[in-house]
Amino acid sequence: MTDETDVAPVVAPADETTTRKLGIGFWISVTWIAVVVLAALLAPWLPLKDPDANFIVPGERPPYSPNGTHWFGTDQDARDLFSRTIFGARISLTVGFVAIACGMVFGGALGILAGFFRGWWDRIISFVFLVLLSFPALVLAILITALLERSQRTISNTLGILSISPVGRVARATTISFADREFVLAARTLGAKNSRIIIRELLPNVLIPMGALALLGMAVAVVAEGGLAFLGLSVAKGSTWGKLILNGSGSRLLADSPWVAFAPILVLFITVLALNFAGDRLRSYFDVKETSL
Amino acid sequence: MSYWLQRLGAAIALLLAVSMLTFGAMNLLGDPLFNILGPSAGDTETEEGRQIIQAAKDEYNLDDPLPARYVQWAAGFVTGDFGVQFGLDGEPPVSDLIKERLPRTLTLLIMAQMMAVTLAIPWALFSASRADSAIDKVSTVTSFMFIALPSFALAVIMKYLFVIKFEIFPLIFNAADPLASRLWQMVLPAMVLALPAASVYQRLLRTDLITTLQEDYILTARSKGVSKRNVLFKHALRPSLFSFITIFAINTGALIGGALIVEQVFIIPGLGSAIVEAILREDFPVVLAIVMIVTAGFVVMNVLVDLIYSIIDPRVRAS
Amino acid sequence: MTAIDLSLRVEPGTPLLELENLRTHFKTERGLVRAVDGVTFTLNRGESLGIVGESGSGKTVLSRSIMGLLPSTAVNHGVVKFAGRDILGLSSKEMRHLWGAEMSMVFQNPLNSLNPLMKIGKQITEPLKLHLNMDKIDARDTALQLLRDVRIPEAERRLDQYPHELSGGMRQRVMIAIALACGPTLLFADEPTTALDVTVQAQILDLINEQRRNRNMSVILVTHDLGVVAGHTDQIAVMYGGKLVEYAPTKSLMRSIPRLEDPSHSRLATIPGRPPDLVNPPKGCNFAPRCLYAQPKCHVEEPSLTPAADPAHVYACWYPVGTPEFEKRDAELQETGYMPDDISAVS
Ligand SMILES: Nc1ncnc2c1ncn2[C@@H]1O[C@H](COP(=O)(O)OP(=O)(O)O)[C@@H](O)[C@H]1O
Ligand code: SF4
Ligand SMILES: [Mg+2]
Repeated sequence: MTDETDVAPVVAPADETTTRKLGIGFWISVTWIAVVVLAALLAPWLPLKDPDANFIVPGERPPYSPNGTHWFGTDQDARDLFSRTIFGARISLTVGFVAIACGMVFGGALGILAGFFRGWWDRIISFVFLVLLSFPALVLAILITALLERSQRTISNTLGILSISPVGRVARATTISFADREFVLAARTLGAKNSRIIIRELLPNVLIPMGALALLGMAVAVVAEGGLAFLGLSVAKGSTWGKLILNGSGSRLLADSPWVAFAPILVLFITVLALNFAGDRLRSYFDVKETSL
Repeated sequence: MSYWLQRLGAAIALLLAVSMLTFGAMNLLGDPLFNILGPSAGDTETEEGRQIIQAAKDEYNLDDPLPARYVQWAAGFVTGDFGVQFGLDGEPPVSDLIKERLPRTLTLLIMAQMMAVTLAIPWALFSASRADSAIDKVSTVTSFMFIALPSFALAVIMKYLFVIKFEIFPLIFNAADPLASRLWQMVLPAMVLALPAASVYQRLLRTDLITTLQEDYILTARSKGVSKRNVLFKHALRPSLFSFITIFAINTGALIGGALIVEQVFIIPGLGSAIVEAILREDFPVVLAIVMIVTAGFVVMNVLVDLIYSIIDPRVRAS
Repeated sequence: MTAIDLSLRVEPGTPLLELENLRTHFKTERGLVRAVDGVTFTLNRGESLGIVGESGSGKTVLSRSIMGLLPSTAVNHGVVKFAGRDILGLSSKEMRHLWGAEMSMVFQNPLNSLNPLMKIGKQITEPLKLHLNMDKIDARDTALQLLRDVRIPEAERRLDQYPHELSGGMRQRVMIAIALACGPTLLFADEPTTALDVTVQAQILDLINEQRRNRNMSVILVTHDLGVVAGHTDQIAVMYGGKLVEYAPTKSLMRSIPRLEDPSHSRLATIPGRPPDLVNPPKGCNFAPRCLYAQPKCHVEEPSLTPAADPAHVYACWYPVGTPEFEKRDAELQETGYMPDDISAVS
């Protein structure tokens, strides 16, 4: 009787069902993301106006404000902002996607190695993560993009390198937490090879929290591209959301024709919000700790 | 004691690694000779051209192996000698540029962080003490929105609202103005950085406060008759600050990036425009110096966090 | 400023604490949790009451309801009178003048109940400054005296130490010193020894008792361990499933329980089965599903509190020790060797 301790909670435990539901907001977000991604993918085949054509109305000076023909209005060169925004999504989202995929593959692999083998592997890999994280993210991006030609590949790879450490750290932490679980120990005692344990037992479990991070990481990468654009370091050719916003943000244009900046800002904002929200819900759904990020 | 030595050692190792990486990248990916001589670096056809190249190589020791040059550069760097700006006539020292630009960026950052913290703490206390009430939900949505709003987008929005529409703030930062008005001109850019930062801090601090408020010692404090307000301020706040401080330091990295961008929007000649200009001129000593200064500051900041931990937590101090 | 006239508190003849049909329910997603469901008792000044019950029986919620220290999901009904004043509906702003000053609480786990980032001295002087308007120096002197009262060695030095520098037993003494600081008339001690070493437990209980006598203070001692209250309180109340099922002077209760672990009476033994579901409590006696002595009637009708031979001793049971049904069933159980202890071994 004396070993019985009083553990009745003072505050009701969080109800399982409330945290274990993705909720309507999640599905709205996912729908928006899907729409934007599809529009970007299919842009050349959609009945959109040519993003580079100048729709000059004789006798009127562009930019034209939003109207029936130009839903988002046009820019100072009378180019249709709606289709420019959708075409801009192609590069912005591709950059975001490649970046986070790169982070997943390299960060994930390094993180799992570090978490599984521990010891020197762990020490070296963790130090690499730490070094990469020691640069303010944008500063590292500036460093790389400044040195290379500003192609879409460079930007994607740069942002990919940036996402290695954050993703890698989560992969490492998750691997460590799983490496000592019964099913892994069981596999070990049964003489399973390391590679088999990693692929069969660990990978599926580590992928779940990393997947939850993918949406958040994508949001970060999309935003980072915009930041680089404002420094004049985004892709040299083609339009991106960042470049569109930058174009509209000059004082004169902003004062006279604010839609030129605000149309792409709105789309970028909603997309980033949706990515963040969906990622956040997934993360709490799979209970990935905020601090391990 | 040995713990602090260890921390110090780790920080130094980190700074070394970071600087080697930066220096190495600069020299391997870029072409220092080209920086110095511009297009004539490729002029190996004529005898004269070869002589110029050799002279430049000798002057800047470009024939030395990379490690030797790194040591030379690093030794200069720690003594405040960041090299010269190749891209400008007369090759003025980089340190002149830094001296002019760094204070502005630093002011912007400090102002932004101060605003963010003074906003975030009361905000978090307010929302945590009313967790899950309607107003708390509104505040959660608000902070979520600000977190999702990229700094450049917020900068454009704020510029539109407060500079163009309501004309509260001047558009252009004027380096010739007296200090007070220069500071005033930084308020809006600082706010652009502060609002999302405050949201990040509020979100985290609110969560931690809610956890702390469920601790037994909070009940003890209440059972002593301490007012709700003082329970929050005197008992709950300090124990909830730990992850906030960590995030504060980490977020400084994001703010540095944000500052560079916001400087562009508000036309503040700080490190942001310095690095952009230097990149356009391919003036690598400037880029190198700025990257290193900013990164070193960030590393040092993260070490300081440990120190602050030990100040607020006697348990850390003991161990 | 004070919502309650404190001078009224010791009107002769008025009990210090009166509870009438106190119910505390929590609104949860699962439904209404009836954590405390109709508790009535009175406590006079200077007396001590032990509340015993298995974990989850509602002891903590009961004592926090009396103090008014519950989360906002709690709903109270009934009457709680403190020194003749109805205090159940008071806001925490009003209750604040009672907390620490008139009633205070010692919690179960001294490791968590002291603020880890605040010096011991500050934690003790806080209520002194608050309620007695002491200045820094007076408060510190008083704190020192309090630490000596609770027999903390090197009291002076402790004032500037942090909780983590003290042992569990010492921390609980500090907690008691804090609770006693402003000379409350009612002290709640919620499992004050559960988290402590066995050797320290008795010392802490003796300390509380000693202080009660010195200060003519009432004490409500909450525990899951009948052994703890047996020697240390005047009265014992037994809780089960949010209800008081037995209330008696300690001596009378001890006399009527042949075996301390007897389930029928005390509902205290480590009997198999789970505590009743407080959202959907069982019909009849809510102990019936686990009671070895349950008869058909127990599953239908709820027993109410009835006096025993000693009228100060009341209990809620249809077939207490001594009734023919009890003896018959007891004999059967003896015969089959089917004793509570065995059951717990089997389960
Ligand atoms: N804040 C709360 N919300 C919902 N149920 C609660 C809350 N606090 C306590 N309870 C429930 O009330 C019952 C009694 O708890 P408690 O008083 O802590 O028991 P004990 O007798 O062990 O101190 C338990 O079933 C517990 O789960
Ligand atoms: S009333 Fe019946 S079920 Fe309840 S304790 Fe008494 S004998 Fe057991
Ligand atoms: Mg309890």
